[in-house]
Amino acid sequence: MRLKNYTIGLFLCLAVTSCKKGFQELNVNPNTSEKALPQALLAPAVTSIVTANMSRSQRLTNEMMQVTVNIGDTDGKIFRYDIRKSEGDYLWNSWYQELSNFNDIYKGAEQLGSNSFKGIALICQAYVFSLLTDTYGDIPYFNATKAKEGVFMPEFDRQEVIYPELFKKLEMANELLKTGTNIPSSSDPLYAGNAANWRKFGNTLYLRLLLRVSAKSPALAATKIKEIVDVNSANYPVISSNAESAALKWSGTAPYVSPFATWRPADWYTPKLADFFVNNLKEWGDPRIAKWATVYNGKYEGIPSGYPVGQAPEGKSTLPVALQSEPLLGNILNYAELQFLLAEAAAKGWITTGTAKGYYENGVTNGITYWGYPVPANYLLGAEVKWTDNLALEDKLELIHVQKYYSLFMTDMEQWFEYRRTGHPRLPKGLGLPNGGQMPSRLNYPVYLQSTNGANYIAAVAIQGADDLYTKVWWQKP
Amino acid sequence: MNNTIRWLSYTAILLWLSLFISTANAQTSQVINFGANSMTLKKAFNELEKLSGMTISYSNSQLDDQQKVSLPKAERTVAETLRLLLRNQSLTIKQTDARNILLINSVKGKLTGKITDQNAEPVPGVSVRILETAQTVQSDNDGNYHISLDPGTYTIITKYISFDDTRTEKVKITANKSTALNLHLQESTNALNEVVVTALGIRREEKALGYSTKVLKTEQLTDAMSNNWTDALSGKVAGLNLIRSNGGPAGSNKIILRGESNLTGENDALIVVDGVVINHGSGRTTGSGSSAYLQSESPIDFGSGLNDINPDDIENVTVLKGPGAAALYGQRGANGAIIITTKSGKKRNGIGVTVNSNTAMEHISRWPDYQFEYGQGSDGANFYSFGVSEDGPSTRSTSSAWGPKFNGQSFFQYDPVTKTAGKERTPWLPYKNSRKDFFQSGRTFTNSVTLDGGNDQTTFRLSLTNVDNKWIIPNTGYGRNTVALSATHKVNDKLQVATKVNYTNKFSDNLPSTGYNNQSIMYWNMFWLPSADGGWLKDYWAPGKENVAQSYPFSSYPDNPYLIAQEMLNKSNRNALTGNVQATYNFSKNLSLMIRSAMDFSYDARSQQRPFDTEKFKKGMFRTQNIFSQEISNDFLIHYNKDLSKDVRISVSAGGSMLKNTYNKDELRADSLTYPGIYSLANSAGVLTPKPYRGKYGINSFYGVATASYKDYLFIDITGRNDWNSVLATANSTDNVSFFYPSVNLSGIVSEMFKLPKFISYAKVRASVAGVGSGQQTPYITSFTYDVADNFPGGLQNPAVLTNTNLKPLYTTSYEVGTDLRFLNNRLGINIALYKSDTKDQILKTTVDRSSGVSYAYVNAGKVRNKGIEVELNGTPIDQKDGFKWTVFGTFTANRNKIIALTDSLDNLILQSGPASRGAIVAKIGGSMGDLYGRGYKRAPDGQIVYNNGYPVIPDDQLYIGNTNPKWKASLGNQFRYKNFGLSFLVDAQYGAVGYSLTAAVLAEQGKTVNTLPGRYNGIIGKGVVQNADGSYSPNTTIAQDMTTYYTTHYGRDNIEGATYSTDFIKLREARFDYTFKPKTLRKFGLQRATIGIYGRDLMTITKWPGFDPEFGTLNDGVISQGFELGQFPSTRTFGINLNIGI
Repeated sequence: MRLKNYTIGLFLCLAVTSCKKGFQELNVNPNTSEKALPQALLAPAVTSIVTANMSRSQRLTNEMMQVTVNIGDTDGKIFRYDIRKSEGDYLWNSWYQELSNFNDIYKGAEQLGSNSFKGIALICQAYVFSLLTDTYGDIPYFNATKAKEGVFMPEFDRQEVIYPELFKKLEMANELLKTGTNIPSSSDPLYAGNAANWRKFGNTLYLRLLLRVSAKSPALAATKIKEIVDVNSANYPVISSNAESAALKWSGTAPYVSPFATWRPADWYTPKLADFFVNNLKEWGDPRIAKWATVYNGKYEGIPSGYPVGQAPEGKSTLPVALQSEPLLGNILNYAELQFLLAEAAAKGWITTGTAKGYYENGVTNGITYWGYPVPANYLLGAEVKWTDNLALEDKLELIHVQKYYSLFMTDMEQWFEYRRTGHPRLPKGLGLPNGGQMPSRLNYPVYLQSTNGANYIAAVAIQGADDLYTKVWWQKP
Repeated sequence: MNNTIRWLSYTAILLWLSLFISTANAQTSQVINFGANSMTLKKAFNELEKLSGMTISYSNSQLDDQQKVSLPKAERTVAETLRLLLRNQSLTIKQTDARNILLINSVKGKLTGKITDQNAEPVPGVSVRILETAQTVQSDNDGNYHISLDPGTYTIITKYISFDDTRTEKVKITANKSTALNLHLQESTNALNEVVVTALGIRREEKALGYSTKVLKTEQLTDAMSNNWTDALSGKVAGLNLIRSNGGPAGSNKIILRGESNLTGENDALIVVDGVVINHGSGRTTGSGSSAYLQSESPIDFGSGLNDINPDDIENVTVLKGPGAAALYGQRGANGAIIITTKSGKKRNGIGVTVNSNTAMEHISRWPDYQFEYGQGSDGANFYSFGVSEDGPSTRSTSSAWGPKFNGQSFFQYDPVTKTAGKERTPWLPYKNSRKDFFQSGRTFTNSVTLDGGNDQTTFRLSLTNVDNKWIIPNTGYGRNTVALSATHKVNDKLQVATKVNYTNKFSDNLPSTGYNNQSIMYWNMFWLPSADGGWLKDYWAPGKENVAQSYPFSSYPDNPYLIAQEMLNKSNRNALTGNVQATYNFSKNLSLMIRSAMDFSYDARSQQRPFDTEKFKKGMFRTQNIFSQEISNDFLIHYNKDLSKDVRISVSAGGSMLKNTYNKDELRADSLTYPGIYSLANSAGVLTPKPYRGKYGINSFYGVATASYKDYLFIDITGRNDWNSVLATANSTDNVSFFYPSVNLSGIVSEMFKLPKFISYAKVRASVAGVGSGQQTPYITSFTYDVADNFPGGLQNPAVLTNTNLKPLYTTSYEVGTDLRFLNNRLGINIALYKSDTKDQILKTTVDRSSGVSYAYVNAGKVRNKGIEVELNGTPIDQKDGFKWTVFGTFTANRNKIIALTDSLDNLILQSGPASRGAIVAKIGGSMGDLYGRGYKRAPDGQIVYNNGYPVIPDDQLYIGNTNPKWKASLGNQFRYKNFGLSFLVDAQYGAVGYSLTAAVLAEQGKTVNTLPGRYNGIIGKGVVQNADGSYSPNTTIAQDMTTYYTTHYGRDNIEGATYSTDFIKLREARFDYTFKPKTLRKFGLQRATIGIYGRDLMTITKWPGFDPEFGTLNDGVISQGFELGQFPSTRTFGINLNIGI
């Protein structure tokens, strides 16, 4: 009996100590990777950003900016500026998610000593943070994407504080990429690894963002723009051709399949094209209309946007189904946009290299050739296209921006950002629009922040103003 | 409190350890070293007397002491030595006092008899126990038993599950004579002294238990068979809630006991089959992991191993509801346990053959209230034209029924022959059966043959079952073959080995896709039109475009349902093996050891195929998954019992187990194909996308239970268990992997302690306190890693869910008190349980602000309190001598649930979101599990709906809409028996919950239900108020003209309040009528027994639910979720017939 007890005791003892033996190894996840090199992270992150941008461009920008009209009289019709609070969730979630990947690319690049990846990470961060702050205003910046360090409720930072930080990032990127060697081509869906092109993209983005805040500190912005374009252009190479445009061109081969390619055609052509979008193209005789609109009863025909409830028009032309797999919809920042940025700067007298007319016409030309069409004869002389140096500045800006509107076709929220900044192009306002047709100035913060980051949310609202569509962000405020 | 329990348990463990050491040193048990080599018995006795100091007496006339004996020299007890020396003699060794041993002649007598039930039918397998000698025999197949006994007077006790015990005293046995004792058993209505299988398979008397349990017998599961046998648990167990996936023929059920205590995830009961836990192996809900609302793929319910058990093989099911009952199961038993014991063979003459045959027919029982007054069209159109015609533009592409009234007019319509616009106008007519005609009657044939037999050493039972199912959607269903073997063998008096093995092959050529999606049948059903005939769709390919283009005349959203049924196939072929091998060694009458090895294994080969031109896969699709699932556990249990005195008995069991769970899923996707109609991975048009997953975890455990009883009326149990769970290990630490759970259970039989009034025949009180911890059973949540970015070569990305290196196990503390009362000679019984449990430190996957970089993070959070009452009533209003008997039983359950704390940083937690984030189940402090929030009506202070321009106002605010868990559930069953006839029925009901119905919302948006009829053409004035400029309210007088907007705003998807309905119901759940043939009649045909029964399930439902069935679950991302109905399948009514024959 006694022996039996000893045996059992011994057994228990041995067993207890070995009860968790091997558990550490057993709980190592075989499906995932403990480490990630920058080249593993970059392509998926860039692709996700472009995918999210396209999705909301189709859903929000197109509707607000009168590209399309998703006919109907129910609640939540975006063309009528009836934008639900929940519409803000998707972009917030998608953009911040990828920022953690860009963070890790930068950290990984530090370990590898890769200036190129560091520079690319900074450009991507500046780009995505600019999208975020331009969409929402004040956002978490300094403490964002620190969940791994235990920060689940980051404070919000002021947009006026964020922008200088973005410029710092772009300056650093420009320096880092100066001597940068190319990165593995398979990891880079934008430039196949070409570091010089990334540098040009970064500087062009710099110009875009400088212009965006130019109303707030015109002198500062103008000085920097002048430095980039006139004074020190050799140190700030920018995109110099359509081929150097920053765009994720969907090849149709996985993983580069356009996110619209899997849509049901019925969903794709449910929103009908708006008058504004179709009529300009028709008047200009713009060849891009063939790729951007279907023929309805033998004609390209849009419908009015912003119509009152109960006066729904019959839908006419739509976006063609072929656009669902169009490579060019993966646009981030193209050469034509740069030309229009420069045209504006020149028109405002901030730069002297080149003329506003020259930049404008180059922008128009490349906007069309980018889509594979030659510029029709006399297109630039058309009544609505022709540049005249003695036009008032506002009219010059209208000329520039109505063309830029088409260069920004399906490009994230860019048409909307520029409209908020400049009031161009001049959109007709339907009678069904609330508040006299005042364009929303921002999207709501995601509703779930009220429960997941409540205190900081309340603090942010207290500083910026009510969390609604019409509170102006810093660079919009007079 | 926890500490108290812990200390009590530690003390208890010390106590039972010390028991092994203290052994009473009785004289015959003293150990001597003795051997004999062909020595006379007399000499041997002399030696023995010297060695033991005892005197051995015997009569020379009874024993020849000159015979030679031999015995190898060894250390044995005196008694053992004598027994070996006298093994060829019929002598009994009796110690008369401390120093004397008497050898007396034992010419035995015989006790025989037949055991019958109240219908005079023989009852096999009854334990007949001789109290004085502790011998037990079992009655054979004809109810006969026999046992040899020394002459004397004995007390005979019978025990048999679901029958009252009998006790016959002063039975006299005389030498060389046979005494006859026939016994009649009475079926017990509330199985009081029933032996209950408790946690770890330990058999206990019901009266000794300090917590509430419920035992169901095989008939209760097979009398009214359904596709999923667990449906039969509905209405029979207080506190049990079944959540059905509503996923088609192989539909899984999730069993919830006593409300949900976990805020998310693993909240279903543990399922144990013959000691094998199957929840996390073959029994895991095996739907495909897509969500139910408009994803590229739809969830499919492939069924679980739990469904595949043949209910005829089940001996009984014990439901251990609370943590007290299940504490010995450790972390996996935190949500209660369902213990299934399958049948074993019995000792009998020859081989018993039983044949069961069951045929069930299913018909759709309810439909939404469709309207057949207006046809296809949008916005109140008053003409129709299929394609542009001389009547006007085309109106063919809408799925709405806001079109022209059926008024005897004619329009240009679809011509099903040419599959294009008709050349002539044809009458505008409703097709009232066009949706119904698509469906068919379901039918299930279940046939099984069972062989069983055995002798004193070996018993076996072998059953073969074949199931053939055709479901209500054409070309769906499954087949199943099951082989179950149970065998026991007594190697000798001490060693017994037993095994139970269950092999199942389940196969299906097509299981339906569920949910709301273009490729689901119910999506089509919502989109189909009152003015079109479903029969037009039967020819589902466009002319001349077989395999390339489908034919569908209207809106391009839905796929042709016949194409879905015939071509969009979801196949599965699962081979599963579940079983155990165990050996029990009895060291002595008091000490035994059981060692068991169990395995739950399955391999499932699945595929999904979609032809060209389906809405979600224009170029077709083919995906395969091979799923290997295996859980192996090895355990042992030492059992020791001892009578400390006449009144005090104790027993101790202690054991341990090691478990390893492996789940591998290899998926390959070809999401577009090169050639139409060829479903093979080689036909992929692009690169195949692999989606591999590997999951592994282990749990090691030690546990023990100590029980003590006093005078057979006062009982105490103390249990303790420690688990080590690898899921909580991190790369650097195993600090959190270990957790301990104690429980204390008390039971007292008041009716035996005190003399109670005569009308009280039995009274028991019980109490239980338990602590149960639980880790997750999802591995890999404690270390940070990067996820694979699909399709990117070598691509990685940050995970959306942040792991947590400091996760602790959750802990539930539960208290339960209860009573079991029986009155009027056991004619009326009531069993009440009251419980309260607090669950804290839950492991939650919580939503965090995405600007932190992740969407979700694992945290320890929350405290949820459940309080509830469970009542079970049973009675026998009539029990006449002539054989008429009426029994009634009923249950009542109410559970209240309160969220006491979340984390420090969260006061809201989104547990589940509705379709496209419309509405959500939100946990808030002070709220309750299942609280549904979403947009709803703006209301004036008096509660009236506020209108604006004639339409109701639906603000963005998230309102509390209702709770999706019922306030109470109740059931009532009746059973009548008259001679050979039986009639029974069961009604059950639930009250106080709501559910969101997407079916109702979409049908209303499209003008297809009668609630959208008022106001067409003329407009309607909504009942409510408008807010005036000064803030006051006045009645709404504006006529709303746009009925689409009006009804969409009222009942559509976005108005969560308007689309949410009560799920209260009363159901006639089961009814059965059967006839048992008389033994005399049967003998003529060489049969032993035969019963034929007809039955019905879900025969009638009274409810205001607008869809099909108020009891719904939704298969979402591989789990069954509640609260949101997303395109449920039609509810069915089942009629069946079954036949049971014993040869």
